[in-house]
Amino acid sequence: MPVEFITERLPELLLRTREHLLLTGVSTGVAVLVGIPLGIYISHRLWLRPFTFGLVGVVQTVPSLAMLAFLLALIGKIGVVPAIIALTLYALLPIIQNTVTGLEGVSPDILEAAEGMGMTPRQEMRLVKLPLARPVIMAGIKTAAVISVGIATLSAFIGAGGLGEFINRGLSLADTRLILLGAVPSAMLALYVSFAISSVEWGLNERRRKNLGALSGRPGLLLSLAPLAVLFLIGGAGTLWQAGPKGAVKIGSKNFTEQLILAEMLAQRIEATGLSVERRFNLGGTMVCHEALAKGEIDMYPEYTGTALTAILKSETRPTDPDEVYALVSREYLKRFDLRWLKPFGFNNTYAFAVTEEAAEKSGLRRVSDLRDHAPSMKAGFTSEFSERPDGYPGFRRAYGIEFGKVLDLDPSLMYDALKKGQVDIIIAFSTDSRIPGYRLSILEDDKSFFPPYHAAPVLRAGVLEEFPEVGAALAQLSGLIDDRTMQLLNFEADQKKREVAEVVREFLEGKGL
Amino acid sequence: MEKAIELIDVRKHFNGTHAVRGVSFEVLDGETLVLLGSSGCGKTTILKMINRLIEPSSGVIRINGKDILGQDPIEVRRSIGYAIQGIGLFPHMSIADNVSVVLRLKGWPEDKKRDRTGEVLDMVGLEPETFGPRYPDELSGGQQQRAGVARALAADPAILLMDEPFGALDAVTRNVLQQELLKLKQTIKKTIVFVTHDIFEAFTLADRIAVLHEGRLQQIGTKEEIISAPKTEFVKDLLLRPIEQLKDFKEAH
Repeated sequence: MPVEFITERLPELLLRTREHLLLTGVSTGVAVLVGIPLGIYISHRLWLRPFTFGLVGVVQTVPSLAMLAFLLALIGKIGVVPAIIALTLYALLPIIQNTVTGLEGVSPDILEAAEGMGMTPRQEMRLVKLPLARPVIMAGIKTAAVISVGIATLSAFIGAGGLGEFINRGLSLADTRLILLGAVPSAMLALYVSFAISSVEWGLNERRRKNLGALSGRPGLLLSLAPLAVLFLIGGAGTLWQAGPKGAVKIGSKNFTEQLILAEMLAQRIEATGLSVERRFNLGGTMVCHEALAKGEIDMYPEYTGTALTAILKSETRPTDPDEVYALVSREYLKRFDLRWLKPFGFNNTYAFAVTEEAAEKSGLRRVSDLRDHAPSMKAGFTSEFSERPDGYPGFRRAYGIEFGKVLDLDPSLMYDALKKGQVDIIIAFSTDSRIPGYRLSILEDDKSFFPPYHAAPVLRAGVLEEFPEVGAALAQLSGLIDDRTMQLLNFEADQKKREVAEVVREFLEGKGL
Repeated sequence: MEKAIELIDVRKHFNGTHAVRGVSFEVLDGETLVLLGSSGCGKTTILKMINRLIEPSSGVIRINGKDILGQDPIEVRRSIGYAIQGIGLFPHMSIADNVSVVLRLKGWPEDKKRDRTGEVLDMVGLEPETFGPRYPDELSGGQQQRAGVARALAADPAILLMDEPFGALDAVTRNVLQQELLKLKQTIKKTIVFVTHDIFEAFTLADRIAVLHEGRLQQIGTKEEIISAPKTEFVKDLLLRPIEQLKDFKEAH
C-alpha cells in the first residue's frame, strides 16, 4: 500500500478511529452498567435465568444489519443512536452470562462462612461474591468489548461513522486498499481493547501486584488504568457529534459506486449554489436510505423508479412504460411520504442480458428474442435473486418462452468474470455496470419490455425545495443528462480506473458546462 | 452457673427426612460442649440452628435466656464466633483481612481493627507481621485453621461454634491444635459448642459430651459419666469400637 495513500487519509483515519472508539466505548459501558446489575438480579432468581438468557440469546442471533435496519425503523434515526443501541444489545449477553456464571461459581463453603459470620446478603455480594466472580465478569466485559469493536464496523451502514466507513467505501468501489484501511486498524483496536481490559483486571487484583514493591499499592492500580484511559482520551471530547462538517443540505446514498457518483453529483450541484452540503453516503441499502429520508435524517438521495415501485411501494400493478412508472411513484411518494421525485437523470439501470461482443457478432444476437434458437445450448450465470424472483427468470421464461440449457447461480461480482473467461455464455447484468464496456460485453435489447424500468432520479423531502428554492433549479439541470452509456463510463472511471468519485464527477460536470 | 444456650425439643426435617428428632440440652456459661456422632447424626444441623443458618422446624432455642427466633439473624450471627472445616477463609483476602472482616462488618475504626487483628493472630500462634499479609493458599492446612479460629475470636464473642475445625488436618497437626485450643480455652473463657466425629478429640476438648445418633440425643454428660455408665447400645458400641479395632489389628499380625 503506497504511503501517500495512508498519509492522505490520516486525518480521516483519526476521526474514524475516534468515532469507532466512542461507539464501542459507550455501548460497552452501558452494557456493563445494565448487564452486571441484571446478572446479579438474575443470580438470586434462578427461574428468571432461562428466560433472560433466551431473550438476550435471541437478540444475539439477529444479524447485525437486520438489527440496525430494525432500530432505524423503530426510532426513526440514522447515525450514532441506533448504532449504540444495537451494539449495547450485542454486548449484553456475554456480560450478563459471565456475571451469573461467575457468581454461581463461588464455593458454597465460602458463602456459608460469610453468612455464618453475619454478613447481610448485600455485604456478601460486595465483599465476597463479586470479588471472587470478578475474573469471570471481566472476561465477559472483554468479550463484549472485542465483539463491539468488530460489529461497530457495520455502523457505517446507518451513517454512524467509525472505521466501517472505509470498509464500506472499499466494498462499494471494490477497492481493497480502502477495505484494509478500515479493517486493519479495527483489528488492532480489538487487540488493544483486549489488552486494556486485561490490564485493569491485573490492577484490580491486589494479590497479583502484592510483591511488586511500588506497584503493589495505589500507583499500581492507577498504572493499570492507563491503557484504558488512553482510549478514553482518544475517543472522548465529544468528537462523535461533530463528525464531518454539518451542512444545510444532507445528501445520502446507497452503498455502491453508481449511487456514490450520483449523490456526489447532487452535492456538487448544490454546493455550486453556495449552500453547504453534508455527505451521508454509503448507507446500507434501499430501506435504510428510504427510512432516513422519510424521517428527515437526510434530505435527498438517488433512487430508481423500479426499486421504489417494488421494494418501497410494493405495488401490485407493474406498468412497463417508464413514464407511467415514474408518474405512479412520484404520485404515491408525494401522497404517502411527502417526498418529491425530481426529473430522472436519463439512464435506466435495469436487468439486462449480456453476452460477449464476439458472441453477439458470431451468433447475430441483438435482441432477447434472438436467443430463442441458441438458448438450449447456452450456459447462463444468474444472481440467485434473479433465479428466484417471480419478476426474474421464472417470469422471463413465461414471457419470452425461452429456456437456457443450464443455469448457474453466481455472486454478482463473479458473474462478469465468469462470462469474460467463457465459463458461462450469458449473464444477467445491471445495464449500467462499468464492466459492460470494461469487459467488452454486449447488452441484448429487451424487445418484449419484460424488465421493469429502473430510471434513477433524485428523491427529496418536499420541504427542501421550499426552504432552498435554488436547489430545485440546480438539480433540474441534471435531468436527462446521463444516458446508459455515459453512466457505464462514469462507473468505469471510478470502479476500474480507481479514480476519486469527486474528481470523476467534477470532470463530467465541467464537460457539460455546469 | 448461667445457661448460655438452651435447646428445647428442637426438630428439623428437610423434605420429609428427619435430621433432628426432638433434641433438648443446655450449654452452661464458659463450658465446652462437644456434639459427638457419625456423619448424618444431625450434629452439624444442630450447630447451624444455633446461629440460625438453618431454621428449626419446631422447638425453642434460647441464647442467654432469649429466644433467638424472635431476633434479627444477622445480629445473632455477629454475636457468635463461627469456625468451620476446610476453606472457610476467603481466598481473595489476606489473612489480616479475613480475620478482621467481622470487625469491618461491625464498623470498627481502622486502628482498633488492626490492633485486635494482631492480638487474635498472636493468640492462635500466627505471627501477625509474617502471616497477616499472606493469602490463605500460602498457608499450610494447620495455619489456615489457626487463622479460621482467630477470625471466629476477632469480635470477642461470648459463644464460639466450631464445626470439625480440625477435620481436614493430619493427626500430628490436629493434636497440636487441640492442645492449643485447650490452653486457649483456659484464657478466653468462652462458651464453646464443638462438633466432631472423633471420640478422642471429644474426650480431649470437652467439659461435657452430647452423643447423637440418627437425630436423637443418646446421652449427655462428662466423659467419666459416659464411660462409666453408657446409657444406650449406641453409646456402648461407640466406646467399644476403638478397643475392638485395636484387637482386630493385633490378631491380624
